[in-house]
Amino acid sequence: MITLTDVTKTFAGTVHPAVERLSLDIAEGEVVVLVGPSGCGKTTTLKMINRLIEPTDGRIMVAGKDVLNMPAFELRRSIGYVIQQIGLFPHKTIRDNIATVPHLLGWEKTKTAARVDELVDLVELSPDMLGRYPGELSGGQRQRVGVARALAADPPVLLMDEPFGAVDPIVRANLQVEMLRLQERVHKTIVLVTHDIDEAIRLGDRVAILSEGGHVEQYDSPGEILRDPANEFVADFLGSDRGIKRLSLIPISDIELDPGPVLSRSATVAEAEAMMSKYGIDWAIIGIGSRIEGWFESKDLAGQPDLRNVPTRKHRDRISPQASLKEALDVVVSSHTSVAAVFDEDRYLGIATIDQISREIVQ
Amino acid sequence: MIVAPVIVAPVIAQADEPFVRWDWVGRNLDNLWAATQEHIVLTGIAIGIGLIISMGLSIVALRWRKTYTPITWVTGLLYAIPSLALFALLVPITGLTLLTAEIGLVSYTLLILIRNIVAGIDGVPEPIIEAARGMGYTERKLFTDIQLPLAMPVIIAGVRIATVTTIGLITITALIGQGGLGFFILRGLQFYSAIGTTQILAGTVLSVVLAVTADLLLLGLERLLTPWARRRAVM
Repeated sequence: MITLTDVTKTFAGTVHPAVERLSLDIAEGEVVVLVGPSGCGKTTTLKMINRLIEPTDGRIMVAGKDVLNMPAFELRRSIGYVIQQIGLFPHKTIRDNIATVPHLLGWEKTKTAARVDELVDLVELSPDMLGRYPGELSGGQRQRVGVARALAADPPVLLMDEPFGAVDPIVRANLQVEMLRLQERVHKTIVLVTHDIDEAIRLGDRVAILSEGGHVEQYDSPGEILRDPANEFVADFLGSDRGIKRLSLIPISDIELDPGPVLSRSATVAEAEAMMSKYGIDWAIIGIGSRIEGWFESKDLAGQPDLRNVPTRKHRDRISPQASLKEALDVVVSSHTSVAAVFDEDRYLGIATIDQISREIVQ
Repeated sequence: MIVAPVIVAPVIAQADEPFVRWDWVGRNLDNLWAATQEHIVLTGIAIGIGLIISMGLSIVALRWRKTYTPITWVTGLLYAIPSLALFALLVPITGLTLLTAEIGLVSYTLLILIRNIVAGIDGVPEPIIEAARGMGYTERKLFTDIQLPLAMPVIIAGVRIATVTTIGLITITALIGQGGLGFFILRGLQFYSAIGTTQILAGTVLSVVLAVTADLLLLGLERLLTPWARRRAVM
């Protein structure tokens, strides 16, 4: 969808190119994140795609067309653009802000109005915001308007320059989740720039890690980059906790769960003790198959002939199979039982132990 | 013709005369109204032409940054010429005409207007400009659709100063017979009586009232043109 070939940008009055012979292939419908330290040329690269910065050398193709072969304004109308400070027009209502590109393209009023309504729904804004001015909205709402505005003319390509930079961390996390949900519906080809490696890992189908001068140090899926950093630079940039970062990409359902120390009510105390020593723990679960009652500790067995009357406790630290191994790890280290009990709704699936999780880190 | 030096009339009138001759005001209501209208027209023309020229020069200055300094230098020089001297210099060329008056009046608006237009446009935040360009605005549409409306508060602030200054200055153009309300001030100076004082006061008061009214109207215009500025987040 987007192809950069040997793209170079040397700014006037400088000797070293900001971006030097950068080549990158971006497939249709994928989210590619350009990430790197400041000065690595990631924003310059992004802005060359819609020619806010003109490349000094090289070729950029978008949807099979050379971007230099058409007027810049025409190119830009076919590419969605979201920037960090969002850049909403303060003197235009939200409705007019969203309708910016349709206005520029000369769409009919009814078509534009219908599209605005559709977009408001898509980015989950309340329709009564349409008559307001940007100054009356919160940061998160403004960001949604910015995305709606970028999507207005349904461009196949979306460029996002630190799109979540201007909002606080909690709002940012929500917006990131929303963006992924949105992308499942709209399937745009998205190029996103960030300096935040965690954001890159969370959002990117593929991540390009750039070093100074726009050199691509590694371009791969987040999982692959975390599993096997191409070089020292990438490893350093990922940070010492890249093993844990990788866990956030793996859902619990990807690993084989241990059935756990499950006993039926009819089991004897001896069987229960055997089960606990097999696992090297002092607790066990009462239930049959995926239907369990709860767990008990070995001291609960005192004076009991069998398990018939042993009191049980509910699992408070249950986790769903869609959760990541990182979340499972968090449950493991903070729960009494040192395991994460995995439940799909009320169905017990098994337990995730620290051994299983660390095996994934090592892999 | 250059008017002979004017001696300031002693304001203290004869004891048996009232300070203000309301009967004169009563008899001259028509003349006062006509002069006020003339004053408004003179101001309107000066500000209108001043705005057109300033807008043109501002666009040049914004497009070619290097021209901004010479433009402010020249208009600053015009602004610095004493008004009395400027009219005296122009009369031999353009005569005692409306043209002479307006050349002077317009020259005095340029510096203020250009400075405010350029500052207003420059003050539009960069992210807004970048977003507009990034979405495919042409430079012309960017100027008319984004930069100009957002610069409006600063531009109108300039128009307000220029208008008030011009209204005051017109009292001086009475010297070349294009005075509006200045006519009464000038004539009042030639009477050593309450009639004179009354005329000076009438011209001055009306001129001040005009300036204040124009200022308020322009403030209202600004409010009208920038509805977004009053509606801020209530959170």
